[in-house]
Amino acid sequence: MAEPLLKVRNLRTYFISKNSTVKAVDGVDFEVYPGKVLGIVGESGSGKSMTSLSVMRLVPGPQGKIVEGEILLEGQDLLQLSERAMRDVRGNRIGMIFQEPMSALNPVLKIGEQIGEVLVRHRKVTKAQAKKQAVALLRSVGFPRAEQIVDEYPHQLSGGMRQRAMIAMAMACEPSLLIADEPTTALDVTIQAQVLDLMRSLKEQNGTAILLITHDLGVVAQMADDVVVMYGGQVVEAASADEIFDHPLHPYTQALMASIPVIEEERERLQAIPGTVPSAADFPSGCRFAPRCALAEERCHEQMPELREISLAHAVRCLVVQGKTDRRENAT
Amino acid sequence: MATYIIRRLLGLIPTLFVITVIVFILMHLMPGNAFLALTQNPHIKDAAEVIKRKEAEAGLNLPLWQQYVNWVVNLLHGNLGTSYQYDEPVARLIGFSLPNTLTLAITAEIIVLLAGIPMGLLQASRVNKAFDVSTSFFAVLLYSIPSFVFALFLIYIFSFTLNWLPSFGTVTPAVPWSGDLGDRISHLILPALALALPSIAFYSRLTRGNTLQVIVQDFVRTARSKGLRDSRVLFRHVLRNAIIPIITQFGFDIGGLFSGAVLIEEIFTWPGMGELTVSANLNRDYPVILATTLIFAVTVLIGNLVADILLAIADPRIRYN
Ligand SMILES: Nc1ncnc2c1ncn2[C@@H]1O[C@H](COP(=O)(O)OP(=O)(O)OP(=O)(O)O)[C@@H](O)[C@H]1O
Ligand code: SF4
Ligand SMILES: [Mg+2]
Repeated sequence: MAEPLLKVRNLRTYFISKNSTVKAVDGVDFEVYPGKVLGIVGESGSGKSMTSLSVMRLVPGPQGKIVEGEILLEGQDLLQLSERAMRDVRGNRIGMIFQEPMSALNPVLKIGEQIGEVLVRHRKVTKAQAKKQAVALLRSVGFPRAEQIVDEYPHQLSGGMRQRAMIAMAMACEPSLLIADEPTTALDVTIQAQVLDLMRSLKEQNGTAILLITHDLGVVAQMADDVVVMYGGQVVEAASADEIFDHPLHPYTQALMASIPVIEEERERLQAIPGTVPSAADFPSGCRFAPRCALAEERCHEQMPELREISLAHAVRCLVVQGKTDRRENAT
Repeated sequence: MATYIIRRLLGLIPTLFVITVIVFILMHLMPGNAFLALTQNPHIKDAAEVIKRKEAEAGLNLPLWQQYVNWVVNLLHGNLGTSYQYDEPVARLIGFSLPNTLTLAITAEIIVLLAGIPMGLLQASRVNKAFDVSTSFFAVLLYSIPSFVFALFLIYIFSFTLNWLPSFGTVTPAVPWSGDLGDRISHLILPALALALPSIAFYSRLTRGNTLQVIVQDFVRTARSKGLRDSRVLFRHVLRNAIIPIITQFGFDIGGLFSGAVLIEEIFTWPGMGELTVSANLNRDYPVILATTLIFAVTVLIGNLVADILLAIADPRIRYN
């Protein structure tokens, strides 16, 4: 396989205050390959957003801190860069789109300016050229009236249009990596499909790799080449998408699969697994899933399992699970 | 936009009507009138006669409603009447005082904005650090002290003790440089500063608070995710949003600063609307009282209108209709 575009090693991002340490991301490893989509899934609070913000080095300070790890973009450790050099990476080599396209766009600046300023910043074009390119970008994400849209404000657009404008903005400098943190969660189902289609076609045209964060396994199934499942700030399972859907090994992943609603419209936040995600300020000492795990044994409460490769390119963080259990075979 | 402004201006008329009627009634409820002082004058023998004649000339023996109608009709003809105490057209008195007050108020407003907003931004960008904590403490202190106290302090320090700046009038009389730009500015500094100081504190608090609210919003994170420099994030994305409530407040304050000038003018013997108003009220100079009230009311109302217009310009989500 090709060299990974992004390689994250032992990433730890903590929120440190006087009376607590919240281990939002606690030793995460993954790779994103050029032109491929890596899906990160997990329940709310599992550390997905903090992982993605860590890659951008935009963890909310002053309490949030990347305390350990390596984030290698094309072999270069972003954590070693000066803030100034990091600004040359953001928006240029890595683009990012967020969950809530209304609040993620500046309400008082025109769409054209918000797209154009990325080009002015990284491509050193004039404002007039930037506006022209913004029109072209908007057209490429499917706006027929792109000339008018550049002069409109976010509140004049619908949710789906805003998210497409966000995508145009993130893709303006043709980054090699696009981070999308729940890009479709705030949209209704038909618009979701359009936005996902758009991301897929941009990926195919430009060879952009995508780090796609979601709690929606349906989205992962449609989009991802590889999948990382997160729980309690850790990776609990990592494999190719086909492998994960065919042979989910970790009890948590299996529970997630079982909770996929059958009817599309019922797709909501995952909550079918009994119990709640443990607080990142106060994790259990053994396996973090143990309090909710059907397979938990005594040792699970004492010993923290390592992420270990069970078969080729399939890693699981579990003391009990041994080999493959085929989900479809089990179901029959 | 133009029709909106015109409609809003027309909308001011009922308000002005109510204000002037109230002032008219209150004014006549005040004991005495402008001409009673004549009885104190030993050179006038038939004071009672003279007073009657003067009152008749001024139309004061007409029914109150008739007096009001006359005043309005004259006003519509651009005639503000004649001052009883100075025996001069009110328009001329105001033509002399108003520019002085405008100079003072506008200078103070400029100082307020130029000092208050950057101060608030600096505090917000260093939130809870030493600079923020110390200047914030200072700002709260400044804000709780009224302008006239500053006036006295400033006069004591800069005029009395250091003798750097003059403390009264608009120009230095009887010197070759009297009335030069420099001379005028040196007279303007202390009263403008006294008027501005509490507002500087207020605007720095307002700017700091708004900035801190905006800085945590999602679109600021988006701006940073685009690799923009901190200065652009702060000025184009944060300030552009944080400024909206500030300019609205500023519009509302225009009238306030204007009337706040009254006391300051008294202290610095600044020949502005304040002095004119106070002496008119003491002397029951009805035409002047009405004219100054009208002008104060109009400044407040225009200030509110300016606030709305600025808001509509600054915030694209607001539509004027
Ligand atoms: N500013 C903060 N201060 C302290 N803790 C925080 C802060 N932001 C996030 N956390 C904690 O970090 C952990 C991971 O949060 P994160 O936002 O990464 O979760 P997520 O997987 O993205 O969830 P969601 O699906 O809700 O977006 C959570 O336990 C959260 O409480
Ligand atoms: S280690 Fe034990 S508790 Fe944790 S997932 Fe595996 S079986 Fe469940
Ligand atoms: Mg999140």
